Amino acid sequence: MLNVLILGIGQCGNRILDAMNKEAMGGGGASKIAKYCLRPKFPSRVETLAINTAINDLKELRYTTAKDRLHVPNLHGVGANRNVGKQAFMENRDSIMGEIEKRGDFDIAFVLTSTSGGTGSSFSPLLINELKRQYPNIAVVTVAILPFREEGSIYLQNAAFSMRELMELDAEGIILADNQYMKRIGGDIASAYDKINSTIARRLLFLIESLDSEMLSVTDLGDFKTVMNGGLRIGTMGFYQADGKNSSIKDAIENSLKPNNLLYPANVADDAARAMVIIQGSREHLDVDQITKEVEKLTASAGHVFKGIVVKKGLPRVLSIFTLAAAPELESIYAQAARGMQEEKEKRSRARKQLDDAFAHIEDLEEIY
Amino acid sequence: MKSGKRAERSLKRAIDLQDEDKGKKQSLDILRLLSLAVIILLLSTAWIGAVLGADDDDDENGNEVTYNDFTLGIGDRIEISNYRAELIEIQSVKDGIAVLHVSRTGGGLDEQRAFLENRANNFVGGAEKGGITLTVVDILDEDSAKVRIEYQESLGTPSRRASDRPISAGDKPALTVQKSFDKSKISVGDEVKVTVTVKNEGTGKALNIKLDDAPPLPEFSYIAGYPPKIRDSLDPGQSDSAVYMMNAIKEGTINVSSIQVSYTDSKDNIKMNSSLPFEIVINPKSVADLTIRMDSSGPLPLGGTGMVNISLVNVGTAPATRIEAKGDIRPPMGLEGSGFDRSFFEIPPGSEVNYSVMLSGKDPGNYTIHLKTTFDGGDGYAIREGSTEVVVLKREYKYEYLLLLIPIIIIIVWLYKRHREYKY
Repeated sequence: MLNVLILGIGQCGNRILDAMNKEAMGGGGASKIAKYCLRPKFPSRVETLAINTAINDLKELRYTTAKDRLHVPNLHGVGANRNVGKQAFMENRDSIMGEIEKRGDFDIAFVLTSTSGGTGSSFSPLLINELKRQYPNIAVVTVAILPFREEGSIYLQNAAFSMRELMELDAEGIILADNQYMKRIGGDIASAYDKINSTIARRLLFLIESLDSEMLSVTDLGDFKTVMNGGLRIGTMGFYQADGKNSSIKDAIENSLKPNNLLYPANVADDAARAMVIIQGSREHLDVDQITKEVEKLTASAGHVFKGIVVKKGLPRVLSIFTLAAAPELESIYAQAARGMQEEKEKRSRARKQLDDAFAHIEDLEEIY
Repeated sequence: MKSGKRAERSLKRAIDLQDEDKGKKQSLDILRLLSLAVIILLLSTAWIGAVLGADDDDDENGNEVTYNDFTLGIGDRIEISNYRAELIEIQSVKDGIAVLHVSRTGGGLDEQRAFLENRANNFVGGAEKGGITLTVVDILDEDSAKVRIEYQESLGTPSRRASDRPISAGDKPALTVQKSFDKSKISVGDEVKVTVTVKNEGTGKALNIKLDDAPPLPEFSYIAGYPPKIRDSLDPGQSDSAVYMMNAIKEGTINVSSIQVSYTDSKDNIKMNSSLPFEIVINPKSVADLTIRMDSSGPLPLGGTGMVNISLVNVGTAPATRIEAKGDIRPPMGLEGSGFDRSFFEIPPGSEVNYSVMLSGKDPGNYTIHLKTTFDGGDGYAIREGSTEVVVLKREYKYEYLLLLIPIIIIIVWLYKRHREYKY
């Protein structure tokens, strides 16, 4: 059995973690009272921990038990300031790692975090580094959420620096999810967040279940680590579930790789470095020849593709995970972040100069009473 | 009728005796009468003239005849001048004969004579001739009579003198008769003893005593002793009784007619007396009637015991005898009880016998205890039946409701625990 640790860092990470707990209780249909009568049914031994410096964010969680919520005392958050966040982590590192240690040994850890927020963007690189230091044998995969572009320059700045630190870590790669890209699946911002979180949560659970299942065609944690170490060690996930009108496994695989079904904008045919395709469905839908042909087709562009087939009642469902050899969208983010930072710097200089000019009026004067 | 003839004979004999005495005297008086006739013829001319001339004087001198009526008891007398008339006895009320003793002070009259009712008797020539004339105008009863005395006013005014002799009861029997029943409450089928008692409360001996008793049929049938017989004669103060047995055979209100006793006294006077009639009620035949009362001690808990109390009450009017009670339980399985079958020799009217039976409930359900009683109620054997319901309860779970609370409590605890788990 796979031992999995899922850490939700910051508000965004916490909510994705909460969504995973909700999905484990029955998915989107789970009512508010489900937590009172059900236990999360994870496919493996899964331990979760939500970490945040803002206690109000922790209180908003609904499907995560209290013991799985860790408040790092730092007033009420770090105010999107990564330096404050890093300092708070370092001051509370032992208690954070102590909580993780209580949850036993693990084979893989997923760190769910926003790249733009204060706690998530500052804690995650340090925490992953600490995890790899204390548990060198476990795979640590980061699920990093890129911000809406219009959220502000600080968030973009945080995303830029946080992503750089994450990529510099000696971890098993990053699965990217881009809020800006997935904004289309929701209506307003609030429901978009919820749907994005649920989508990410379902795909991660699918992945964990598949890695811990007896497969017709085997893929395992080692294969997953190999995929995640490919290319830039930055990847994303695609998912598709066939419907009654079209239960073709071929179409399901192809659809799972289409940009509409990805968490991050990528061109699989051009940018994929390594991939893993995991297929679930009833045996009558699992035509191995078709699956093999589709995988071979993907292999031609992606280099190496692992395939896993899990016989499970229902229409075909396909999860595709791949790492990228190129990430043009990231570059645009960095460029936008740099512009924002430059503008911020210039604004600050202008403001400083205006202020200095203003102060010049009272230079050499003293207060008279 | 016999006594009437006898009285007539005695009356003739008294008259004959008077005629015999007169015969003896006639031979002696003929000579006297002849000489007196001559004298009378000689003197008649002078006497007639004197009488004719003195008629008006007599009337003027108080020789007018008048009369008075007196009611005399035995021994009472009428006195006028030197005449005395005393009522000696009433010889026969029926035949109208009374005996008076008439006398005159200074002699010349001392005679006791039987008077026929309403027949005048002259003494010393009668009232027209200066004597008196007595007539018994009415015999009131055996002890009194109304007597009329006719007299010339010159004799004065007659007066009644009460008897100065001690009153003697005389020889007068007086029988009373009484008929009585030995029971005041009689029911059909009862034997009744009828007692007839005759008592001589008079002073004379009662003779030829006869009873005339009308039997109260058809409400009774006679068993023995009828007709009642008593002695032919009873001395004063004596009594006699006779008993006969009857059986009441028909209910209703019965008028028991009077019994009549007839007898004669020493003078063959026929007398009668009778008892008073009365009514008695013959009730319906006395029979026993049993009612069965069965009271159970209430629902039995499963496996528990209880009692059923049984009362046999005789609500009839006769004793119930040879009572046999037999009981059973329906359905036979599930409720156990023994001792229903009992025998009793007798239950008097208004009494009851009680006994109890222990019950043991084995299976829950409704059971019927049925009791059948046979008895001799005095009119043959009778059967009475009774029943009562007994419920054996299902096993009671006293704190069963707690079982409902337990899951609720568990759910609440569970929810609270889960709430605490998710409460941050």
